[in-house]
Amino acid sequence: MAVHRGRGIAAIEYPTGMNQNGDPSQAWIKVKPDGRIDVFAGTSDIGNGSKTIQSQIVAETIGVPYDWVTYDNSNTDSSPVCTGTFASRATFVAGKAVEKAALKVREKILEIAGKELEIDPSDLEIVDGEVVAKGAPQKKIGVPDVAAAATWGHGELITGTGAQLKPYATIVDPETGRVDLPPHSAISYASCAAEVEVDDETGVVRVLHLWQCYDVGRAINPTLVEGQIEGGAVQGLGLGVLENCYPYYPSAEHRGGQFGSYLAPGAENLPQIDTIIIENPSSDGPYGAKGIGEMANNGQPPAIAAAVYDAVGVWVTELPITPEKVLRALAAKAEPRRAGKLVVFDEELSVNAVSDGGIRFEVPA
Amino acid sequence: MKAVGARLPRYDGVAHVTGRTVFVDDVRVPGTLWVKALRSPVHHADITRLDTSAAETMKGVHAVVTWQDVPLLEYGHLSALGIPADEPLLAKDEVRYKGQPIAIVAAEDEETAMAAVAAMKLDLQEKPALFDVRKAFDADAPVVHQWGNWYPHFEAEMDRRQIRKGDIDRAFADADVIVQGVYRPAAIEHVPVETQSCQVVPEANGRLTIYSCTQALYFSLGVVAAHLQVPLNRLKVVGGTVGGGFGGKVDTATETMCCLLAQKSGRPVRWRWTREEEFLCSSTRAPWHMEIADAVTEDGWILGRKMLTLHDSGAYARFSPYGLTKHSFHHTGAYTIPNLHFDGYVVFTNRVPTTAMRGFGVTSVSFATETHVSRIAEVLGVDPWEIRLKNANRIGDTSPNGVAYADPSTVPVVKALADGVGAKLAPNLQAMTPAAREGDLLPEHLVAQIGNPEDH
Amino acid sequence: MNLTVNGVAHEVESGPLTSLLDVLREELAITSPKAGCEQGGCGACTVLVDGVARRSCLTPVASVQGTEITTVEGLGSPSDLSPLQQAFTHHYAAQCGFCTSGMMLAAQAYIDGGGSDGHEAIQEAIAGHVCRCTGYVKIIDAIAAVARGDEFDLTVTASSAGMVNLGGAV
Repeated sequence: MAVHRGRGIAAIEYPTGMNQNGDPSQAWIKVKPDGRIDVFAGTSDIGNGSKTIQSQIVAETIGVPYDWVTYDNSNTDSSPVCTGTFASRATFVAGKAVEKAALKVREKILEIAGKELEIDPSDLEIVDGEVVAKGAPQKKIGVPDVAAAATWGHGELITGTGAQLKPYATIVDPETGRVDLPPHSAISYASCAAEVEVDDETGVVRVLHLWQCYDVGRAINPTLVEGQIEGGAVQGLGLGVLENCYPYYPSAEHRGGQFGSYLAPGAENLPQIDTIIIENPSSDGPYGAKGIGEMANNGQPPAIAAAVYDAVGVWVTELPITPEKVLRALAAKAEPRRAGKLVVFDEELSVNAVSDGGIRFEVPA
Repeated sequence: MKAVGARLPRYDGVAHVTGRTVFVDDVRVPGTLWVKALRSPVHHADITRLDTSAAETMKGVHAVVTWQDVPLLEYGHLSALGIPADEPLLAKDEVRYKGQPIAIVAAEDEETAMAAVAAMKLDLQEKPALFDVRKAFDADAPVVHQWGNWYPHFEAEMDRRQIRKGDIDRAFADADVIVQGVYRPAAIEHVPVETQSCQVVPEANGRLTIYSCTQALYFSLGVVAAHLQVPLNRLKVVGGTVGGGFGGKVDTATETMCCLLAQKSGRPVRWRWTREEEFLCSSTRAPWHMEIADAVTEDGWILGRKMLTLHDSGAYARFSPYGLTKHSFHHTGAYTIPNLHFDGYVVFTNRVPTTAMRGFGVTSVSFATETHVSRIAEVLGVDPWEIRLKNANRIGDTSPNGVAYADPSTVPVVKALADGVGAKLAPNLQAMTPAAREGDLLPEHLVAQIGNPEDH
Repeated sequence: MNLTVNGVAHEVESGPLTSLLDVLREELAITSPKAGCEQGGCGACTVLVDGVARRSCLTPVASVQGTEITTVEGLGSPSDLSPLQQAFTHHYAAQCGFCTSGMMLAAQAYIDGGGSDGHEAIQEAIAGHVCRCTGYVKIIDAIAAVARGDEFDLTVTASSAGMVNLGGAV
């Protein structure tokens, strides 16, 4: 009886934006008479930080300090359409909509500043809240003064709208699954390594260490990216070794109705987490960003399953990898069936073993 | 000063740490009534009688709503994507899962609302239930759903999602080894610390203000307007601040019912699901059943994949057909496999309907395919880093549905991980990039899938 | 019944067996303690009772008559953040923010009790507090920072550390 260590790895990919697209986000921005920026978008912040990310995109695109930006996603009367915060789309799709709106606002600020400075707008840029002449930085006017001039002098509202919509990719051939357009906005990639400790007496799997590498395209806010990756890692750990709505699945009995009977990961389950972020920019995301919020819990379960095999030599392929399943697997010491070039694992779980002929999984001979 | 790429403080950070963030359940409107639901106590039954009269006449009860009060009882949340409606907002003549809402009540306080639910008379004729997706296709299986036991409305009214690519028979004939396995990740709960919550206020001008914890303001706006059969400007959804979602709050679980009660009672109403309701009656991540057979060469090339997926949808379709389609599009994972034969079914069972959750459709297939690749490496005695880098998506490779990859990063993320854990890669692996295949990395079996995906 | 919450004395009208959580939220409209489960399982309703962390959902109000209750509003205000509030902000320890109040009060009790910056001790101190968003990493970082006496610059900063930029399509 002993505690064994093992390591496993996994590589994964995940699409950004709704599958097959067709999910619009819109934004509108207006500028107050003192140059402060009001952003209206319909993107819920579920903790992912989309209020922050979209404000950063607006500040960067217009060229004003972050704390000049007010972000309002509070209701459907003032905010335009956003299908929602899901499908890893809040940065990629909705963030693109606010970037487009901010570009229009920037253009309008330059136009009014051009009138005030009597310089062609194409020779102007906005830096830290000031409109300055390219190559002649002494010629400048603050964005607050531009906004005041627009309001009280020119009788204009500085505003801009933006919308992001990739057309719906139709499945043109349901026999093969062929589509007429790319069915994703971008694909993000990640990898994960897990180190576990397995006690062959109790069957308990303890996840000691998770290393994770994500291609995020561009980290608009690196600490928020880390937060997504760390939070995802612990949910992945839950999927791998703890959580199950139906402890005797497929039976629907014995469900846990409280925290005492449903094992959501707690602080005590936290392994060491090392995060590596790669920036391989996407062509259509705002500033090259991709969405990684969802895939953040996809890499750990297979890495953990491989690590458990590495530790004690059994494959547990029904999640979560509970002590009971580990002990049963150790007791069974199941070997795959080998016949010719076939190597068949898990035969007892297959439809071929359980279905009464209604469905079969046939492998070409 | 650059804003993009900067570690700027969270926009809502100070509000969170000072208790000032207002979540739905923190909204205080005078005269608000509490909402409770009568839910199915069994997994599967015909409703033979529902009598709410005793509840309606109780002191402190202001409204009771059943299926008869809903202008459009069945509305498909993904009708726009061609997935037809199948789920009644409130059960009419049949219940298909334990916890399914049948009637709702608004009363002066929580205790009165609970007493009103207890006073409702419900007679049920229980029926056999189905829980094992593997048995759903058998002749003697209980029938779960009006469409049968699996979703029949994919394109061209096909009853499954198919992917076909290349020549699967040849791949298996050419293989040195065929590795088969079965993968079954569990259903899990979203576990937002904020349970499903909603407050609806009827305004003087006849509009309804809906304080919602939805992850999708406009999506929920559309769902409620459809059920109520009103134009969008009769409703105002207030939200955008959500106490954890993870996909479960894409369901519009409470908003429509609260609107009906607010309309009927003329009073503001408030519903905060108990933790028990959240665990037992809210939708879950789906349990999946996946079988994979991969045709591989001795040196670790994956020539072909045959796969069968049974997606346990629970009692209704919700987003499951969408999730399965996404699953099918990603069933080769981070690798290029030229010959594919995928069949996937959305199977109905008498459990709580499953829904979107972080990684929807792909979490399952990432677990199955990556564990399978680890197994293949073990069976062949091939280095697990090598099998991943060799088969990695490269620029110009094509996806299962024939789309060329523009900027795949399997190679960089695997190499960076190896570096991170201190694994030493062989020089030929260390030299790899995601550039288009050539030389040793373009073996015969991968030639045809490159360049002219539409011809393949 | 009398209750002092964040230094303000209140006359309470709810019945003696009403939970402290309901008294705070429904009668006094102090909404930072959250009704995450009302089963004592999630920790989101945690408040300090005479400095001790208690689950207000399981606490009959009669049992805390005459005590000093502290909610997160009592730690500091937006213009005068306490060290713990500064640390949670600086380390991005709140994502959705729903568990944050209860988590911070458990942390405050730990700090007040002379807790160290050791991760295992902090993990034990916040065990039973469910956070589904952060994976606890940045919460533990924030609590350790306060235990160490770190000081924070909460002004807008523009540092991007630890990025590997492969540039273009690699």
